[in-house]
Amino acid sequence: MSLREPAQAGRHRRFRLTQEGVVSLIALTLFLAFALFLNNFMSQGNLLTLLKNVAILGTLAVGMGMIVVGRGIDLTMVAVMVVGVAFAIWLSSQGFGFGEAVLIGACLVAFCGLITGILIAIAEVPPIFATLAMASIVYGGGRVAFSSDVLYAPAGIGWLVAIGSGTFLGVPYSILILAGIAALVALFLSLTRFGRFIYATGDNPHAARTMGLPTRPVQISQYVLAALIAYAAGILMTGLVSGINTRLYNSTLIYDVLLVVVLGGISLSGGQGGVRNVLVGTVLVGILINGMTIMNFSYTSQNLIKSVILLAALALDAVINPRDEQTSQSGDI
Amino acid sequence: MKVLKNTAFAALAASALLAAVPAQADDIEQVGRAAYLEAVTGKKVIFVPLSQGMDLNQAWTAVWQRHAARYGFSFEVRDPNMDTAAGIRALQGAIAEKPDVLIVQNPDVQTYARALKQAQDAGIKILQINMQSITQTDSYVGNDWIEMGRLEAGELARTCLAPGAPSGKIVWLAGVQTGAANIYMREGLNQILAENPGLELVSDQPADYDSEKARQITETVLQQHPDLCGIMGIWDNAEVGAGAAVLAAGKQDQVTIVTNGAGAHTACESIEKGLLDVVYNFNAPIQAEIAAQQISEFLQNPDRPAGSEKTVFFGPITRVDKNNASGRNCWKIDELK
Repeated sequence: MSLREPAQAGRHRRFRLTQEGVVSLIALTLFLAFALFLNNFMSQGNLLTLLKNVAILGTLAVGMGMIVVGRGIDLTMVAVMVVGVAFAIWLSSQGFGFGEAVLIGACLVAFCGLITGILIAIAEVPPIFATLAMASIVYGGGRVAFSSDVLYAPAGIGWLVAIGSGTFLGVPYSILILAGIAALVALFLSLTRFGRFIYATGDNPHAARTMGLPTRPVQISQYVLAALIAYAAGILMTGLVSGINTRLYNSTLIYDVLLVVVLGGISLSGGQGGVRNVLVGTVLVGILINGMTIMNFSYTSQNLIKSVILLAALALDAVINPRDEQTSQSGDI
Repeated sequence: MKVLKNTAFAALAASALLAAVPAQADDIEQVGRAAYLEAVTGKKVIFVPLSQGMDLNQAWTAVWQRHAARYGFSFEVRDPNMDTAAGIRALQGAIAEKPDVLIVQNPDVQTYARALKQAQDAGIKILQINMQSITQTDSYVGNDWIEMGRLEAGELARTCLAPGAPSGKIVWLAGVQTGAANIYMREGLNQILAENPGLELVSDQPADYDSEKARQITETVLQQHPDLCGIMGIWDNAEVGAGAAVLAAGKQDQVTIVTNGAGAHTACESIEKGLLDVVYNFNAPIQAEIAAQQISEFLQNPDRPAGSEKTVFFGPITRVDKNNASGRNCWKIDELK
């Protein structure tokens, strides 16, 4: 009897689909359906385009994923991205070299992340409110400082053009940058002691602190890192379209980022999941958008279909992995 | 004797002149100037824009602020920064203050329709600038958007139906589908499509006035239709994204990108960089001057009740490509102040 029970439990676990699995299956189904019914969907060019089009979303989501694992949320990412890059472009128009300007912009962005981190870790403002307020402050500051919504990078910056249109062995740099950042964050989370601290803090911040883990420095550095990742996404965008549109702050981008993270299976209650989950969510959104753009669906129906499929993924997961007292955690939203 | 006569004549002329000058200083009055100054001084004009972050808005307000400062009327901008709820609040606030003229840039044809009617009923004269509402008010100054659609689509029809064109395939990158400009431009495009059966619209998706979205759509469409001939859009600052996608695909000689814009120098620079081919420039500073004329007419005729006359004026549209992307076709904001 006592021998059979663990075996049963093991078998049970083997058949159990995680949310990541559900989303992967939906992504795969869509992929196969589009590959069968859409011309040119399977072409190498289109698959690269598909990935290239979610490079910015994916980069932001990797940063957000790292924050959510530590039981936080960072709604400042889009604001920091657009204002940081706009600041760098503005500096370059004031006579700084573009490379120099980008470095100074990075310092500003890191400083914003530091303030957010201090608000959350030391002042103990709940992350959702602290970052919501910081996002407004950062964007508002940007609005006052730069009169125009759209700022163009100076012409003739070789490396910036390369980010936008260059390829390495046929793969666009933008995809490689996403892959690079994702790999770095994944290694950081899983291999470094600091990364494990993030999981511990996310799983149970009080226990982590009682055990003597430096939870406050961990949280602060998380937000600094997330801000820098957002800034990298902004530089990527500037390379892709030769400028930055600060009005993106008003778009639904930040919610799309959060959705990708949650969809992939990173629980908002923290402590679980990783970069792989983020990438699964990103790829699903990428396949959906690409297919619907090819089918020339109207914007409204695209949004509707996207929402229905994403909701279905979350609902399906709720059916397969029902929440009960044991699986749900305190702090679940 | 002759010398004496001449001297006397000169002295007479000089004294006449001397006497005349102060008299004239009292009398010279440019016809109507005093009445004009009296009519406009101390009046109040409020502008509710979409967002002051756009180049066209900056051009308009620079011109109107110049007029206001020179002739002593007050000009205030209530910027809702793309938030329609904030825009309605700004309108309600403006109605309560009862300005002499209210200038409105509509986010779409419906949102402000009721508020505009209320303002009109409250006796406020309303000038709609460049983006219309279904409520017609005292004046609309801005683009003939149907003509703009016809011009852009016509440009593509000429290019893509010419012998040697890669195909008749074109893309329409809209902004926001409920916006007045979009609805009317689409109508112009439909007319051209009906007149030119050889043109094929292969994609019709809004880029939400965002360059990155425009880039994504263009890149995907280029994969599906490698022989694409042309792209038409609605705002130069968004279509640079389409241009970036075309450049990245190395198809800048094959795909013609046509759009429109306020005529800022950034559009000319985008043409130079090869991101855009043709910009139909609606010259926002000149639009603003036309609107300023309309404002002064409202202020000079306070006895005409609000809504008693409904006028429409369509501003200029200039075709700008790499041959004339210079001078007044590429204004900088500091030059307008």
